[in-house]
Amino acid sequence: MRPGFRQSMAWLHTWAGLVTGWVMFAVFVTGTATYYRADISLWMRPELRAGPSDPIPAAERGIAYLKTHAPKAMAWYVSVPQPDRPVIGVYWMDSLEAPLGQALLDRETGTPTRARDTQGGDFFYRFHYELQMMPTLGRWIVGGAAMILLVALISGIVTHRRIFADFFTFRRDKSAQRGWLDAHNVTGVLALPFHLMITYTGIVTLGLMYMPWGVTAAYKGDDLRFFVESAQSTTWRPAAGRPAEALPLAPLLARAQGEVSEPLEMVIVNNPRDAGATVVAVFEEPHGLAHQHPQIAFDAVSGAVVERVGTMKPAAHVFTSFMGLHEAQFASPVLRALFFLCGLMGAATIATGLVLWSVARMPKAGEAPRFGLRLVRGLNIGTILGLPIGMAAFFLANRLLPVDLAHRATWEGGVFFGAWALAALVPLARPHRRAWVEMGLSAGLLFGAVPIVGALTTDRGFDFLAFDAAMLGLGLVLALGARAVSLYEGRRAAARAARPAGGLAPKGLVKA
Amino acid sequence: MTPLSIALNLALSFAGLAALCLSMDRHHRAIAGRGQSRTRARGLRLAGWAVIAVSFAAAILTSDWNFGPVQWIGSLTGAALLVVALVSYRPAWIRPAALLALPLALAAVLLA
Repeated sequence: MRPGFRQSMAWLHTWAGLVTGWVMFAVFVTGTATYYRADISLWMRPELRAGPSDPIPAAERGIAYLKTHAPKAMAWYVSVPQPDRPVIGVYWMDSLEAPLGQALLDRETGTPTRARDTQGGDFFYRFHYELQMMPTLGRWIVGGAAMILLVALISGIVTHRRIFADFFTFRRDKSAQRGWLDAHNVTGVLALPFHLMITYTGIVTLGLMYMPWGVTAAYKGDDLRFFVESAQSTTWRPAAGRPAEALPLAPLLARAQGEVSEPLEMVIVNNPRDAGATVVAVFEEPHGLAHQHPQIAFDAVSGAVVERVGTMKPAAHVFTSFMGLHEAQFASPVLRALFFLCGLMGAATIATGLVLWSVARMPKAGEAPRFGLRLVRGLNIGTILGLPIGMAAFFLANRLLPVDLAHRATWEGGVFFGAWALAALVPLARPHRRAWVEMGLSAGLLFGAVPIVGALTTDRGFDFLAFDAAMLGLGLVLALGARAVSLYEGRRAAARAARPAGGLAPKGLVKA
Repeated sequence: MTPLSIALNLALSFAGLAALCLSMDRHHRAIAGRGQSRTRARGLRLAGWAVIAVSFAAAILTSDWNFGPVQWIGSLTGAALLVVALVSYRPAWIRPAALLALPLALAAVLLA
């Protein structure tokens, strides 16, 4: 007989969730950390002091640096200092193929910053959608996994018969499997609007990469015009091929600032030193859901306004609103904390689902676990605890690696992956439950060490109270989790000792 | 989207969801140690949905249609997680906490 619709959906949910679970757990955790990208970056560059600065002189300093260090580039980009990012970022494009050159400058002097070389919060941000792999490959993997996760979400809703009846239900005094299923359901259902929104908007954000054919067909290969018409960028003017002297930058920027009420965020110079050069002033997004930056482009030689980007057509507005919702840059501190909580609940939904898969297939007493179960168990602990261990090690490396180490930022990333790999391999040689306790405790201790090491190695004292509190909180949660597993293991061992015949059915075998 | 308007949403969401939770027999038994009449359950359910509706109106009024829905849903998620944690670990606290949430919501309105 053919299985019913709900059983089919349950099968789909189980397997779609299992194959994408490990990647998506990492994507959720690093994405959740990215809600505090600026705070992480500030902590990781303790030499910098947060604070306001004057954007136009900072932009001039950035352009002055580029004039001497990248005179032949086809485009210059200067991101002016923000209160939570107190450096001038300069980037230059030598060709369409080459990666952007970049440097961080001191906001007061315009010389390369003395802050330690680190990717800061950008490390997790890039991991979130590229897994720190080759960008195209990483984005395809994340996007593919996200699409399957969306399938798992929808089929999960169909499978879950008692969404409202079990809305508040978390039975931790029943069987192990019941407890994990309830935890999976509660974290999944309570934050369901978030899970659906974040997965869908995440796919949409990179949607043009996954499905470029619409744009290709409509614009007949002139893809740049799509970005102009959807109000994402200004028109690219080709170089005139003869040099010309550009007007001073500051008056142009002041004129642009006179038209826009948002603060200046970035200055772009296309074809610098050419007669066809343009200067584009890019402003921060206006307060609203949409992730959309007003831009004004000037002819760099004559000073005439060439283009204004600001008003969007409805489709572009929907797209930028999706991106805005995903990134939540509009969120005030409390709302940001709620987004963070929802992200953690997403990670918890995936983690509990993965554990549930292995608990539901627990071997009977005396039977050896089969290869599939051993594999899933190894990947579970290696991901669910290995990733946090890697993250804590990454923070510690930021403080403990010598400040003048060559390729320091790369070393930090190496420590992240090295610690993660170690934390994934060690459990394979340990009894399964002991491994959860040991790794959970290790993760808790590492997070607990972050504020202590941070305070001992810098002179910033209590400047990072919120960050330190978050680290201690995470460490405490991980350590308490390890303790709970350890206590559960102790009770099981006691029960086994009391009934040595081995007839004790593991409590986790109740039908879900 | 001020902290006070989110505090208002959180307090109302918590009170409303706690009422909904109490209206369910299984949770009522765990919290109060006994069952309840059908009328009372229906009353709690009505009150719960009403408070959640008020919370929605408050979100729209304080943060308009742009952010209001986001704030309303986010608050519901956060408050629901707290209700579940209390029901599972400290069931006796849920009624006093829900009753405390209402004056807190009122205080947020008066301060705003």
